[in-house]
Amino acid sequence: MTAWRTMATVFRKELSDALRDRRTLLTVLVSAVLMGPLVLLAISGLVASLEANAELREVRVAGLDHAPSLKNFFERQTFVVKAAPPDYEARLRDATLTDAVVVVPADFEAALVRGDAPLVEIVSDSANQRSQASSGRVERLLAGFNRERGTLNLALRGVSVALLQPVQVEARDLASTQTRATQITGMLPFFVLMAVLTGALNAALDTTAGERERGSLEPLLMNPAARWALVLGKWGAVAAVAMLIAVLSCFSFLPGQWLLRSDTLAAMFQYGPREAGLFLVVLLPFAAAVSALLMAVAIRCKSFKEAQASTTVVMLGASLLPLINVFSLGGESPWYLWVPALAQNVLLTHVLKGEAFTWLQLAVPLGMCAVVTVAGVAFVARSLGHAAVR
Amino acid sequence: MIRIEHLSKTFLPPRKGFQISKRKQSDRIHAVKDVTLQALDGHITGLLGPNGAGKTTTLRMLAGLIAPDAGRIAVDGIDVARRPREALARMGVLSDARGLYPRLSARENIVYYGRLQGMSADAAHARAEALAQMFDMTALLERRTEGFSQGERMKTALARALVHDPANIILDEPTNGLDVLATRALRDSLRWLRTPAGGSKCIVFSTHIMQEVERLCDQVVVVANGRSVARGTVPELLAQTGQQDFEEAFVTLAFAGEAVSASSTLVGAAP
Repeated sequence: MTAWRTMATVFRKELSDALRDRRTLLTVLVSAVLMGPLVLLAISGLVASLEANAELREVRVAGLDHAPSLKNFFERQTFVVKAAPPDYEARLRDATLTDAVVVVPADFEAALVRGDAPLVEIVSDSANQRSQASSGRVERLLAGFNRERGTLNLALRGVSVALLQPVQVEARDLASTQTRATQITGMLPFFVLMAVLTGALNAALDTTAGERERGSLEPLLMNPAARWALVLGKWGAVAAVAMLIAVLSCFSFLPGQWLLRSDTLAAMFQYGPREAGLFLVVLLPFAAAVSALLMAVAIRCKSFKEAQASTTVVMLGASLLPLINVFSLGGESPWYLWVPALAQNVLLTHVLKGEAFTWLQLAVPLGMCAVVTVAGVAFVARSLGHAAVR
Repeated sequence: MIRIEHLSKTFLPPRKGFQISKRKQSDRIHAVKDVTLQALDGHITGLLGPNGAGKTTTLRMLAGLIAPDAGRIAVDGIDVARRPREALARMGVLSDARGLYPRLSARENIVYYGRLQGMSADAAHARAEALAQMFDMTALLERRTEGFSQGERMKTALARALVHDPANIILDEPTNGLDVLATRALRDSLRWLRTPAGGSKCIVFSTHIMQEVERLCDQVVVVANGRSVARGTVPELLAQTGQQDFEEAFVTLAFAGEAVSASSTLVGAAP
């Protein structure tokens, strides 16, 4: 019997076996594949509400009656001035109030005329994210009021307004729209990588430690089939399941982005079929390597439970390594591409930013995946005999 | 036909937890010391021995799963050590571990092994049905093996081992966990497989149950403490030991050496 036929037989059996494990597959689909789009939706909801806040052009003031000139300025800036509720502090703390509150002292107008620089407070709660955002807006608004009063005072005394601005400052943002979006969508590659990992996990454990636990590995090896062919068949099936999850997870972002509630985010997050394709180019070899690695770890374990404990190390590593890129302060280092999981995160982030990457940048992680795959499969094939009898 | 000559095997004891230090060669467990047997076609050969005598290890070496340290095994003249896959194609092994795939039906379990033995899909399906008939399990064939009883599992595992119609059948304690009826059915099947109509198979099975051997075996090989200590038919072994009861005969044969050594220590200890 040729090795090819053995491989095909094992592959078909293991794949149908894995696909019949409906409950596990469903758990993976719900927890891993839907996670990315759901997070995207949650982010978009947050951004949309921030945008809505900004568009409202409202400002809340406590002690409005003490400051007609301030009210006049706000209204000229087309802001709607509203009186703050009396219990604004408590409401800011429990986040039922999402606007920062301007607190005006009783003798505001008199102090202003005297030139005593009255103290105006902007009250917000830094634990209340949306009040923080509105606090920045109110601060700029008050700075505008200050500038206007200052300019008027100088003009009355015949001093050039230009003296107030010895240096001209203008900010220029180099980031493209897509780059800016990755500040928000930077976590997405992480979710996709986790989806692939959890997709491979169960099948990898079932075909190795699971076989040992059931006592079906020993009889399996009593068939006249080459061990490496058996292992390649098993690995193929595990990798196929992982790749299936990868494909589902990559394409789940396509409908996911139609549901984006924030127009700005929808414009920034450009994820079309091309991006999905590039995601797959990066993820499919990763799925293959992860399958082989998980199998290699699990073949040494006598039971499914023991294997779950052992593979936790792999899962933890693969979920922590990408964080180096997410939180990296010094920018990308070249060695990132040599570390599996981290390299994939780097490349996927490039795709999301709309940046091109060279073939070399793609070749290094691909090569590493190939090395891990070959080493993993070889290790499983070598350990199979020992594993069966112990 | 199966020939086993002077087989021997030692193991290192399993590691304890996170044992770093190297396991010592002197700690080696001598599981099989010297086992010799010959099983003929058309005969049922019983491998009788107490627990831990080395039966399972011997059968695992026969199946090429572990390599012997010394000795030779030939199946129909094929050296297992040198051409394990050719030898396996001529053997059907029901090992100590007989796990099935719970999410596959009994038929799928059997056909899977048929395909791994190199059979075509049609041939494997036809054979699965024939075996199901023989073991009276046609009703089970399309059911998933999850939730099968011990007897149903055993039948499926046996059918799986015999799917390629091997000339040599090796069974490791096949009646473990079976009730009386299932045991009887298994015995009938084995008797039939021995006949020319059943294919004159060479059947080797290991057991520690005397009745099985008395009722079934044409030839008995007694294994004790890693050695094959006696061989012959049941009447021959009775005659050899001068016992009426086969159990007594077995105890005499299997534990003779230990009894002698125990009495000699007693003698030695006496002042």
